[in-house]
Amino acid sequence: MVGILIRMKLAVLRHSMTGQRAADMIGGGVLGLVLAGGTIWLALHDWPVDGLPLDLVGAAFAIWTIGWLFGPVLFGGGDETLRPEHLALLPIPPRRLATGLLAVAFVGVAPVVSLVAFTALIVVALPVGGAAALVAVPVVFLQLLFVVLASRFVTAALSTLMRAKIGAILAAVISGGILALTHTGWVLKPTIQYALTAGFPENLADWVRRLPSGWGIVAVEAAGRGDWLLALAAPAGLAVLSVLAMLGWSALLVRRLSHRGASGRPARGRTAAQQIRGGGVRAVIGRELRTASRDLMRFHYLVFSLVYALAFCLLPLLVDLPIFVPFIGVAFGIWAAAISANLYGEDGTVIWQTVLTPGAARKDVRGRQLAWLLLTAPAVVVLSVVPTLLSGQTWAWPWLAALVPALIGGGAGVIVLISVLRPVPMTDPHKRSGNLLENGTDFTQVLLMLVLVAATAAPAYLTVRYGPDWAGAGVGLVTGILLAWLLGDLAAKHLEATGPDLLATMRASTSRKSNLSGDVDWDQITASLGGVDLGESRLGIDRASPARRAVIYVCFTVCWVPLVAQGVVPAFLKYGDPDRDSWFVARLVPEALHWPVVGVMVALGLGLIAVGFYQLRVARAESRQAAVDQVGRAPVLTRQPEKVDELNH
Amino acid sequence: MTTPTPTPALRLIGLSKAFGDKRAVDHVDLEVPGGSFFGLVGPNGAGKTTSLSMAVGLLRPDSGRAEIFGVDVWADPVRAKELIGVLPDGLGMPERLTGREVLSYLGLLRGMEPEAVAKRSQELLEVLELDRADSTLVLEYSTGMRKKIGLATALLHAPKLLVLDEPLEAVDPVSAATIKVILQRFVAAGGSVVFSSHVMPVVEQLCDHVAVVTGGRVVASGPLDEVRGGSSLENRFVDLVGGQPVSAGELSWLAS
Repeated sequence: MVGILIRMKLAVLRHSMTGQRAADMIGGGVLGLVLAGGTIWLALHDWPVDGLPLDLVGAAFAIWTIGWLFGPVLFGGGDETLRPEHLALLPIPPRRLATGLLAVAFVGVAPVVSLVAFTALIVVALPVGGAAALVAVPVVFLQLLFVVLASRFVTAALSTLMRAKIGAILAAVISGGILALTHTGWVLKPTIQYALTAGFPENLADWVRRLPSGWGIVAVEAAGRGDWLLALAAPAGLAVLSVLAMLGWSALLVRRLSHRGASGRPARGRTAAQQIRGGGVRAVIGRELRTASRDLMRFHYLVFSLVYALAFCLLPLLVDLPIFVPFIGVAFGIWAAAISANLYGEDGTVIWQTVLTPGAARKDVRGRQLAWLLLTAPAVVVLSVVPTLLSGQTWAWPWLAALVPALIGGGAGVIVLISVLRPVPMTDPHKRSGNLLENGTDFTQVLLMLVLVAATAAPAYLTVRYGPDWAGAGVGLVTGILLAWLLGDLAAKHLEATGPDLLATMRASTSRKSNLSGDVDWDQITASLGGVDLGESRLGIDRASPARRAVIYVCFTVCWVPLVAQGVVPAFLKYGDPDRDSWFVARLVPEALHWPVVGVMVALGLGLIAVGFYQLRVARAESRQAAVDQVGRAPVLTRQPEKVDELNH
Repeated sequence: MTTPTPTPALRLIGLSKAFGDKRAVDHVDLEVPGGSFFGLVGPNGAGKTTSLSMAVGLLRPDSGRAEIFGVDVWADPVRAKELIGVLPDGLGMPERLTGREVLSYLGLLRGMEPEAVAKRSQELLEVLELDRADSTLVLEYSTGMRKKIGLATALLHAPKLLVLDEPLEAVDPVSAATIKVILQRFVAAGGSVVFSSHVMPVVEQLCDHVAVVTGGRVVASGPLDEVRGGSSLENRFVDLVGGQPVSAGELSWLAS
């Protein structure tokens, strides 16, 4: 059976080795090989400290392992080239199927690339001695075995957990923490610089070896010392963990094939109509609050915002930098708005009820605004006041008095306007699988919102910056109220005018997506090959040229460096630690040039974002054109008519 | 002696809609007399749902008009929508509310009195036997239950015209009987019903008027007896739509 499954997967891979997907796979493979080369380089380079290559390779292996374990959770799905569900009707016992699918997991680009990276262990073992190198060879394969199996197990476990509240929290903590870490990574720079010149601090070196990813290093070192017991025990440990991961995954697979989880909690208690009072707007508020309290996805987003805000503002404390602490509430508010801007897209075709109820559109918009304020505003205020009091950063009060009202008012306005103007259709809730991983949010939407929401606070910010302190609070309050009212009004007018068109968008999307989950769409599945699905089809740029897509990715990835790390952060930092300051370009130039450089960096970052959005538009047009061309050429249409039929029926 | 023609409950005038190259609805003209029980029949993909969606204001037509008791749906949507109750097919509901909550919020959104909303919701839930699922979210409802809660939302504000897309599909026989009685009573009390179906016996049992739609066009329309012209509706339908019987030689391996 394993042979057949592998042939099946290879056939899928072969079919997908055409045009765009081939370019994607080769691109991903090349990038992976460069990273693998970097790992080997760490082992070969002549470092100033003895034993540093072993530490560095151990640390690199830890990063590879983390990538395998959490990459699929962060980027969606994981390798699902062969979906277990599609084989569930075959007369094969689930455990045998699990074993077969695990064997198939080793066929692909990512495992090959990782195997190359792990050969760094042999390179680093050669100077230690012949016996160490000999031990390293089988350990390389064991490490690959371990990461692939553990990745399967962790991804499956998180997917299962994600159907419950605790899992939504866990996933939010992981993704929020990792994202915040990439944005505040500069705080780690002094530590890394120190480690590269003076060697790893002892406890860090210990930790590198304690993690299973470092057991290969342990085995090599033990073999070098002639400690044969440990040299055998470490690989044996990897083997045991691999077996455990395999057993765990097959158990979870059996569950997956026989359960369908709920994606929310049932209503508690009697929910008699007597409890529900008030007019239209209050009815919407009630509906939204109840939905939010029962919807795992919305809950997940809120926890994510909180974790990100805490991590982003508290991590700099590691280098004695408390100035971000008062802004936990502000960061939370911005994210809470950024992830709430797809209100209509998330709800799907249910918009028909608003369209059909006379006068409901305006009440719906206002109710959603108020519900969002009820959910987030108290948290923003508490997260601003309490940390400021605790940390004694009293200089921040004028800033908070201006920014907090401006942001929560602006956020309440922007979320409804963007929800109406730029809905990102999602599968209707009752047709979704219970797995949050499959219903990711739209990256562009979030980026756009971060910029827009931050922009609503600009007048308040500028007032505090250049005007008297007391004026900021007034400007913040006025702009907050005005923006919430005005943008909400615009959204309501737009919804009243285009409700049926919004419904048409949702309906088309739902029928297309239910189609995809209904039958085996190998193309769609192979798009996520290599474990990373960048959501290109969702963005509508999957058929654009690779160069253009590369520009878009580079713009949206790199823009953060000038905008945040080189612009916003040094703007807030006081002069101090030269070691820390050496990272900021604005600090390397004479003091008079400090502000101009910060300005240039911010402009550069915003410019990159603008270029990114422009290219995104072009790419969408290009992609649509490519789709049209393809339809024109293809003699037989397979999917398009079904879509229309379903719409019709 | 002539009586003035009463305003039709629903009138479609030259409605058209295309999706890409495919013309889903092609100049549909239709008149549903007030107080009638009107069946819209047609094969899968005939354009029934698309026509009904445009008729009630859920899908913008490319051209043509729809009037409800003389009110243009697209020119004066608020007035038109006060008069109708709609059960669409395959659209979402507020998934994370219970059935009772859905009814309560929709009633309040329509500006009804809370007491009236509570009383009517209770009655509707009881009659449709949804009251036992009081702590179940709509998300967890079966297909039949979804139909029933959809019907309840359509009835809640006591409309004059009910537009129902496949109201009996996937509903168990007992509930189907209940729904039929509710609809018949609604018509007897002066209401009008338009409903689409491809189950001919149901249409024959319930409707006094019928229209046959195929390929995006109305090919026959009028009182039931006129349309079926002495034959059964099913035979007449197959004639009009042009079905192809399966010949004996095909799929002969199936029973071997």
